[in-house]
Amino acid sequence: MRTGVVIAVLAALCAGCYNAPDPGAAAPGGPDALAGAPAQSFALPRTDGRIDSIARHRGSVVLVNLWATWCTPCREELPDLERFARAYAGRVVVLGIDQGESASTAAQFARTLGVTYPILVDLDEQYGRAYQGLGLPTTVIIDRKGRVVRGIDGAMTVAQMRAAVAPALAAQ
Amino acid sequence: MISRATALWAAGGGVALVLAQDVVPGAALYHTWQYALAVAVVLTIAALAIVPAWRGRIGARGRWLAVALAAAAALDVAGLASGLLGPDTARIIGDPGTVTPIPALGAAAFFGAADADTIARGNAGVVLRRRGAAALRIAGAGHRLDGESILGLDARPAAFIDAWGARGEHLTITQPANASFLSPVLLFRQRQRIGEFDVPIDGFATPGRARVFRALYFSVHDLANFHRPVADLSHPALVLSVADDSGRPGGIVLLPSGQTVTIGGVRVRATIGSYPALSIASAPPVWALALGLPLFALGIAAGFMPSRRKAAVVQPAGV
Repeated sequence: MRTGVVIAVLAALCAGCYNAPDPGAAAPGGPDALAGAPAQSFALPRTDGRIDSIARHRGSVVLVNLWATWCTPCREELPDLERFARAYAGRVVVLGIDQGESASTAAQFARTLGVTYPILVDLDEQYGRAYQGLGLPTTVIIDRKGRVVRGIDGAMTVAQMRAAVAPALAAQ
Repeated sequence: MISRATALWAAGGGVALVLAQDVVPGAALYHTWQYALAVAVVLTIAALAIVPAWRGRIGARGRWLAVALAAAAALDVAGLASGLLGPDTARIIGDPGTVTPIPALGAAAFFGAADADTIARGNAGVVLRRRGAAALRIAGAGHRLDGESILGLDARPAAFIDAWGARGEHLTITQPANASFLSPVLLFRQRQRIGEFDVPIDGFATPGRARVFRALYFSVHDLANFHRPVADLSHPALVLSVADDSGRPGGIVLLPSGQTVTIGGVRVRATIGSYPALSIASAPPVWALALGLPLFALGIAAGFMPSRRKAAVVQPAGV
């Protein structure tokens, strides 16, 4: 009798299978989802042949702009980014990172638009993946400690760039 | 009254059922009511036999047998809990070089960067990081027990795409339909049925040349059963179709791994191999195994040792 009751209770327990949370449930993506995380860095060649990376600029506020020559909003944003880079020289390091295109393509394009800040050539699109770019352009602000402050999807104006870097510049 | 043999079979069977979760992790069986019922039945038998065994009612050296039964019962409870209450096996497909938070584990999975060679060799790994804890690297075919989870890697088909325009300029690869928009690595998250084949499918675009590609993955086995003879059966291949931005088809071609074809005015090379997905299966907690298994083994071993008292009685009779 007692055995039967115990088995019945255990069987009832089995029947009430509980669904625990799915460990595979991923958090929402996009570049801004990385805010607060350490900035990933990959050493890449620049259009001038030198090797550069985000990590090399640790201690400075860095504005990373992912772009490509075929991207119309990128083309429209680049002159504003150049103006911003000139205005904030010495305070913010601006790095343009071309996604997936040849160095010659990126260099020629940048020259045509009068871009003077460094352009890195990311043939394998490592930065695009790491910063969860939802499209191009994607801009990421990194603080002096090497942490992502903000990730912005889409083209920005100079005023928006100023506002984006202000918290990182204000932080000690 | 439960016999000694029944109690031992129940205890041993329960331990085997629970250990199976660690030896063959991730099976859907562990989350079924049939599995839970089987563990519950052997748990009940073992639990009901503990007191009679302790009192020596079901054979000699009953206290040691009771220890083994209690250890088996504890393991059964742990196994029942991980099967019933633990989450179903999850498979996380992350793009190379990305980080996926896993809130249920309180960790983040760093999927290793992968170039064409890494995809071809299929040797990328995943690192699990927690705040204030050492990083846990998972690589190869082995499994790692982590608290109440077993972590392992499942090799999945992957292809690294390179594309060039008419002047030989390298082109950006995008994946407008996937989570990782900027990535030349196809992970084939979907499948499509074509005739007798059920094959992985993915897609990519070269916006610099306004082309959209669809890629069907054919394994070496699939190629051997292809409707047309395939020259190279030593490597998997993609069947690549292309359309322009307005959806107008631009051709279809078979692209073996490592080779280059021109389709829709774009030169494409695919390096086909594998990239791991992280599988997370629930398992009995480590402390339960560490405590229960030695106690069970000790109880069984001591319970079957010849009784000294009995030997002492027999010996004088023989003299």
